[in-house]
Amino acid sequence: MKWAKRYVLYFRYLAYSPLLLLSGCSDTHFWLFDPKGLIADTELHYMIIDVTLMAIVIVPTTFLLIWVVWRYREKRRSAFAPEWSHSNVIEVVVWGIPLLIVGMLSYYSWRGIQAVNPYNPHALNSHGASTARSHKPLTVDVITTDWQWLFVYPNKHIAVANELVVPTGTKLHLKLTSTSVVNSFYIPQIVGQIYAMPGMRTKQSFEVDHPGSYHGFSAAFSGPGFSWMDFKLKAVPPVKFTAWIKKAGISKNTLNYASFSRFAEPTVNIERKIHYFSDVKTGLFAKVIKAVRSQRLHYVTPMAMTENMHAKIFRTHSN
Amino acid sequence: MPVHLQGPWNELFGRLGLLLIPHYNNPVIFFAFMLVTVGGTAVLTTLTILGRWGWLWRDWLTTVDHKKIGIMYVLIGLVMLFRGFFDALMIRSQQALAVGPNSPGVLGALHGYLPPFHLDQVWTAHGMIMILLAVTPILIGMMNLIVPLQIGARDMAYPYLNALGLWLTAVSAALVMIALFVGDFSHAGWVGLAPLTELAYSPGVGVDYWIWSIQIGSIGTTLGSINIIATIIKMRAPGMKWFRLPIFTWTSMATSIIGLTSFPVLGVALSLLTFDRYLGTHFFTAGLGGDLMMYTNLFWIWGHPEVYFVVLPAFGFLSEIIPTFSRKPLFGYTTMVLASFSIAGVSWLVWLHHFFTMGASPKVLAFYSITTMLVGIPTGVKVFNWVFTMYRGRIRMEVPMLWAVTSVFLLIIGGMTGMMLSIPAINYIVHNSVFVVAHFHNMFMVITYAAFGAIVFWWPKVFGFKLDERLGRMFFWLFSTGTALVFLPMYTLGLMGMTRRLDYISHPSWWPLLLIELCGIGFYLVSVFVFLGMIYVSYRDRASNAVTADDAWGTSRSLEWLTHTPVPFYNFAVTPIVHALDEVVWRREQGTLDRQPERYTDIHMPNNTGMPIIISGFTLICGFSMVWRIYWLALVSFIAIIALVLIRSFTKNPGYVITAEAIGELERTSRPHRQTEEIENPVSMGTGGGSMPNHGAPAARHPDY
Repeated sequence: MKWAKRYVLYFRYLAYSPLLLLSGCSDTHFWLFDPKGLIADTELHYMIIDVTLMAIVIVPTTFLLIWVVWRYREKRRSAFAPEWSHSNVIEVVVWGIPLLIVGMLSYYSWRGIQAVNPYNPHALNSHGASTARSHKPLTVDVITTDWQWLFVYPNKHIAVANELVVPTGTKLHLKLTSTSVVNSFYIPQIVGQIYAMPGMRTKQSFEVDHPGSYHGFSAAFSGPGFSWMDFKLKAVPPVKFTAWIKKAGISKNTLNYASFSRFAEPTVNIERKIHYFSDVKTGLFAKVIKAVRSQRLHYVTPMAMTENMHAKIFRTHSN
Repeated sequence: MPVHLQGPWNELFGRLGLLLIPHYNNPVIFFAFMLVTVGGTAVLTTLTILGRWGWLWRDWLTTVDHKKIGIMYVLIGLVMLFRGFFDALMIRSQQALAVGPNSPGVLGALHGYLPPFHLDQVWTAHGMIMILLAVTPILIGMMNLIVPLQIGARDMAYPYLNALGLWLTAVSAALVMIALFVGDFSHAGWVGLAPLTELAYSPGVGVDYWIWSIQIGSIGTTLGSINIIATIIKMRAPGMKWFRLPIFTWTSMATSIIGLTSFPVLGVALSLLTFDRYLGTHFFTAGLGGDLMMYTNLFWIWGHPEVYFVVLPAFGFLSEIIPTFSRKPLFGYTTMVLASFSIAGVSWLVWLHHFFTMGASPKVLAFYSITTMLVGIPTGVKVFNWVFTMYRGRIRMEVPMLWAVTSVFLLIIGGMTGMMLSIPAINYIVHNSVFVVAHFHNMFMVITYAAFGAIVFWWPKVFGFKLDERLGRMFFWLFSTGTALVFLPMYTLGLMGMTRRLDYISHPSWWPLLLIELCGIGFYLVSVFVFLGMIYVSYRDRASNAVTADDAWGTSRSLEWLTHTPVPFYNFAVTPIVHALDEVVWRREQGTLDRQPERYTDIHMPNNTGMPIIISGFTLICGFSMVWRIYWLALVSFIAIIALVLIRSFTKNPGYVITAEAIGELERTSRPHRQTEEIENPVSMGTGGGSMPNHGAPAARHPDY
């Protein structure tokens, strides 16, 4: 029965069977491996370079480790060198190989930052030059509140909350700030992250080539409403975009600093509501930064606000 | 009040009026409360029934013995590891339940059973506890236990300070536990995300608990680091030259240098935050000249060295365990020392990689990217050196070795993913995702595996019996299955784009993986019981598991295996003279391992003192009253602390002396197997131990002895 016992032991590996569920995830859900924008594409490109270069060391090392542990088990009575603890050749190799790999990765790291630098990405610049596009870049101001997104189109005098609509094939210049705490602007399939920080201005630029709807969210924890702080990025052809601008422009809600500060009150966007604003005052973005810096834009977060999400206090702070 | 507070406050009771607002009806908290209360009452009752209070006070609470202090450090670490694990269990189950808009919600949550108000506190507590109150105490405890033995010292350089460090750590843990039941804990992450920690966004007492707990605990850790450094520099046995130090002692040295230099930065950052919250200053606020990214910088200037503060001792464990079970010296000893100090040095130059996405210029990012990758070089060297240590060895896969080898595997995976994160172009897409969470848990698993290996490895040295091997293996396999099932899906979810700290999962496609993670945490849960079972069974069968030889594993190498098992309170009967890097191996080859020394000398030992625990008691009162802003009580307890420190400074405490005759008697009764050696075979000074005049001993004998 010894053999039976032995095979029973193998059943312990059944413990790992839940990992088989991994096969259930189809590749369309792997946002990072399914980029739809130039920047996300470049970022994936550098990930592949990095993993490949690392694999050159990692894979042989792993096999070496397995082989050594297997080969020199006490039972096998393989060659035994009880005193051996030094070899100049090996020392040089084990310092040299990581040094070489890190050197190569450093080069690619530098190249990568230049390519996707949010303030002036090389990837977009070279792409734009080669296709000689006619569209002028579009500017969007991004303001995060507790816990919603406001996208202001300063030249079009419209704004939309919790949805970002952009024309395809057009370079986008984003300026970002926050009214309260730090958020991180992230659309996995299109562009990497950049912080939106209160009283400060960061920038991001990207371009969407394929029409579609992409998932965006804040990636930096910003308080109890964080889990619901999503937005959709809708990329539409330029013609449709112009029509959309017109449609948004007839919204009855207007946006000046006063109405903005009402909008910016702590709100958990549970229903993921989208609001349109017309007649947006110019300079709202700058005014928000100024107000935060002088602490004029200042809200009191109620204590234990999300302790009971069915309670009245929570309802008044959610939509 | 210098700042405006939400809710009640008065001079006498501070903010304790907040407790009257009824929100303590949550069954989850109630369950935890019952668990702690029942557990605590059981322990207290047992102590009273057995009449062991006096024993507890004399032998443990007032002790300055580095071994007992080490044991208590590890015990605090293990208890808090369990608490942190409980938090993990809640995070995993909440995320597995709250998927999609149709998932039901109970207990005030819209989805799942933990609303953000609770869950945010849970993962904040999980992070803070695991790093500062579980891993750190376990490692400091092991350093405390092993370093003096490895360098042939009687105790630490400052035994009293050592006890103070322990009890301050205990206060830190106590504050976190109190926060569970009295008030709330921080919801701003273990890093204390600025400006979320400011009074405007965190008006309750949670962040204050977090601040004071860390602040008090970090004073303890800093004291511990000073002590280790002084001990290694000044207390080495004769012949223990720098390059004969066992590698674990070297890594302890490197780690303590990091600890001593980095923890003050954390102290300053938290103090400035305290000023913001208590005095209304604007260091880290968004407006009025505050600079919130300054907090982030200061925090990670401590935070990243802290990562190496915890990983270096783990590398030290591996460097002790692997040679022992490969029956070979460590490959490339000098290189290992160099690599440890390279890691410690570079650890200061990498902190900005925690916020690559803040919009700094490419040049800044490139600098921090490259310095981060530089850490990979000495770490890679270490992995190779461990592999070449095993090469042409005689590897015995005993339980400590099982943990150690798996730890090296995990280090390879963690190193790989770390190299991905260090490249800004990649970091932009995985920053703050669960990929990062999986990566640093992976690295903490390297530490945890090494630490479990070390606990099994040094257990017999400390307690005199081995841990049960069958249950030890079962624990290892259950724990490893848990690790694989939790962290492989977590890496995968990161690549799918899932971000961290979510209370509600809006994408049902992540659900299967979250369920696998839940299975994994189930394996961890079972492994906890097996661990407790292993301790119980080993203790029950301690007679049959007993180790009589000084060298419990038969192939040990460093000095701690030279003295008795279990180690007597005076460590070494005579201060050993060190002849080689692997002293035990050297003596084994010379055939002098079992020889008795020619003669004994008086041993000077420090006295027990109740002062550290009393000072820490006042620190607990001070911390608690600061959290609740009971300023008069904080002031009174602070004055008491200062007064006690002054009193202690002027108290003459010469310690006591164990006479040479007493030692001889103790040695003869505890080591009968070594009896006649010395008479038949007199050896020159130092072979069997040798004798050194003890200049530190006071002229007058202590009256107690």
